[in-house]
Amino acid sequence: MKKHVMGIDFGSTTAKAVIVDMRGRIIAWSVSHMGAVSDAAVHEAVADVLTQASLKQEDMGRCVSTGYGRRMLDIADKNFTEITCHARGAVAMVPEARLVIDIGGQDSKTIAVDANGLVAQFAMNDRCAAGTGKFLEVLARAMEIELEEMGDIAMKAQEELKISSMCATFAETEVISLRAEGHSKENVLGAVHQSIATRTLGLVNRVGKKGPAVMTGGVARNKAAVHYIEKVLGIPLILPETPQIAGALGAALIGLDDYKAELAESGQTIEEDYEVDAQMAFDKACVTGCKGDPAEAEKNAPAVTGKLKSMMSNLQKHF
Amino acid sequence: MTPRSEIFEVLAKVCADPMGYARAWKTRTGRRVIGSFPMNFPSEMAHAAGALPLIIQEAEDPITAGHGLLFPFYCGFTRSAVDQAAKGDLAVLDAIMFGDHCVQLLGAADAVRVALPDTRVIFFQLISSMCDPWTLGRSKESFEKLRFELEDFIGEPVRDDAMRASIALFNRGRQAMRELYRMRVEGRVALTAREMQYVVKSSMVMDRAEHLELVEALVASASENLPQPEKRAVRLHLSGHFCQAPKPELLDMIEGCGAIVVGDDLYHGYRYISTDVGEEGNPMDSLARWYLDRNTGVPCPTRVQNDVDWDAFLLDAMRKESAEGMIVLMAKFCEPHMYYYPEVKEAFEKAGMPHLLIETEHESMALEHMRTRVESFLELIKRRRGVARANTPEGEVA
Ligand code: SF4
Repeated sequence: MKKHVMGIDFGSTTAKAVIVDMRGRIIAWSVSHMGAVSDAAVHEAVADVLTQASLKQEDMGRCVSTGYGRRMLDIADKNFTEITCHARGAVAMVPEARLVIDIGGQDSKTIAVDANGLVAQFAMNDRCAAGTGKFLEVLARAMEIELEEMGDIAMKAQEELKISSMCATFAETEVISLRAEGHSKENVLGAVHQSIATRTLGLVNRVGKKGPAVMTGGVARNKAAVHYIEKVLGIPLILPETPQIAGALGAALIGLDDYKAELAESGQTIEEDYEVDAQMAFDKACVTGCKGDPAEAEKNAPAVTGKLKSMMSNLQKHF
Repeated sequence: MTPRSEIFEVLAKVCADPMGYARAWKTRTGRRVIGSFPMNFPSEMAHAAGALPLIIQEAEDPITAGHGLLFPFYCGFTRSAVDQAAKGDLAVLDAIMFGDHCVQLLGAADAVRVALPDTRVIFFQLISSMCDPWTLGRSKESFEKLRFELEDFIGEPVRDDAMRASIALFNRGRQAMRELYRMRVEGRVALTAREMQYVVKSSMVMDRAEHLELVEALVASASENLPQPEKRAVRLHLSGHFCQAPKPELLDMIEGCGAIVVGDDLYHGYRYISTDVGEEGNPMDSLARWYLDRNTGVPCPTRVQNDVDWDAFLLDAMRKESAEGMIVLMAKFCEPHMYYYPEVKEAFEKAGMPHLLIETEHESMALEHMRTRVESFLELIKRRRGVARANTPEGEVA
């Protein structure tokens, strides 16, 4: 039985790959930046994640892709949209989340989710790049600064300015005229992020503010975007440690469901818990849940059976 | 028997160029072509007058000349109709008849009059309140006035027996198309949404006897080599789009995402063929009755019908079709639809029935973007199959 599953998010600006084990735990992840039409980055991310996990593509029980390029990947067994995958990945990262705000390179979306990470409702930016990573990219270029610097600079804004256009091209004109009027870079960038936040608020209201909100996607790493969105929403945003891999993780977990269903259908017992525990115990010569005190850990360890029990009884305690 | 592919080739050609068909028909027969606006003109009447009744269709072309006559905030259908008039594409029509059903249509009719000063444009007022004690009488009055205008235009009376014959022919056409619908729901025929649209849309343009022959051939050939539908395909109902046919690429995209369309209430679909006209008695009485009946058969948000709700009709139709979700196709700036949609949304949320709103435009269609939304919607339905329904209401996923 293969013991790992891969999820790949083939986005418009980055490619992400995640490998999970049979319990859905992240074994390795990788993010690569890409050009608009290049699939080199996706291969790079896949190769990297396999190297990190010391595994081969053939070791994957399932490979599921998502993102704009989801249909272009030969190695994927199935593909799902970003909406389905972000919902699943975000709830796996933040189980209490009921609202997912994902701002990616080319689209932004809000998703109301249930406790299983299933989509209840969703809304997406329609037609143009308003309120997306692309919007920030265009405006970073107009202001001759690096995209990565934008957030930090915007956080220094002192004055509230307004960019009313949602269209990236028209907003670019507004930004240029605000600069020509003598407004500081900081204040103009504050307004750019405020504009993204307003757009996001509109999307949130289309699905409803139904509970704790988690933000995923690359823009979640932009401090100013988070700050302005929190301000307009009036609630704090929960930020996972690695928000940019939520889609790939979701894809992997959906693949895992699928793989487990197939194993169950073919009558194979899924002994992942025991096997993983046994492997861990064997590798570390320790007991499940051990944090340095095996005697203590053993008291709280879940009941073990069969192979694992015999293996554990033979183990040499490490002090 | 004509092979199915050849039948669809003919129907598709008519749909792609309705005015081209009308020009050829006119040359062939030497008879009049009478154009009408959707959705309430009784084409039977023009047919009984010896003309080819043709419902004006939204064209593919970008709006150019029409911009000078109608504001861009009119719906795609009205702008396209005016644009076709301004470009001279409607020149083949000897007269244009229409009954008002929304403000935009009225505006468009005025603009068409300006663009085609030599074409007779006949307007008939239709009662929009469908449940009053005087509704039937008023609708009969409108149709009689229309008949009078038509007779004035052709210079001779439209005989009752000709009316009855036309009504019977149109009924047969509707029945044959409804039979195709029934067979599709029951899985006895594999028809894509595009093909279904070809069948209905072409019936709004073609010589009805010619069309009937093709549809009856389709019905007869239906059960041969029926491919089994994909097991996990989501059964969808399509709703909305009144005056214009949804773009076929959009229908292809929806089905290409893993759905099968099992029913619809589109004007270029079931709405148009839902109701027959009574064949007994006075044909004017029958037409007036038909006007009322078709709005209870498939309610239209352009009419005020207190005793039948569109949303309840949709939910009921979906139950009968075993549809798992609905895609609402809303033409941009279609006011009657915009006004009524909140009620549909609320009812669907209450019933826990998933639905997705897609706004369509004459000019552009961000198909890839729409595809992501449609796929997500279908994934939502598929992943919820078998999962115990959470308390969170499903619903609009705009
Ligand atoms: S009902 Fe809608 S589509 Fe038809 S003419 Fe009026 S606005 Fe246009």
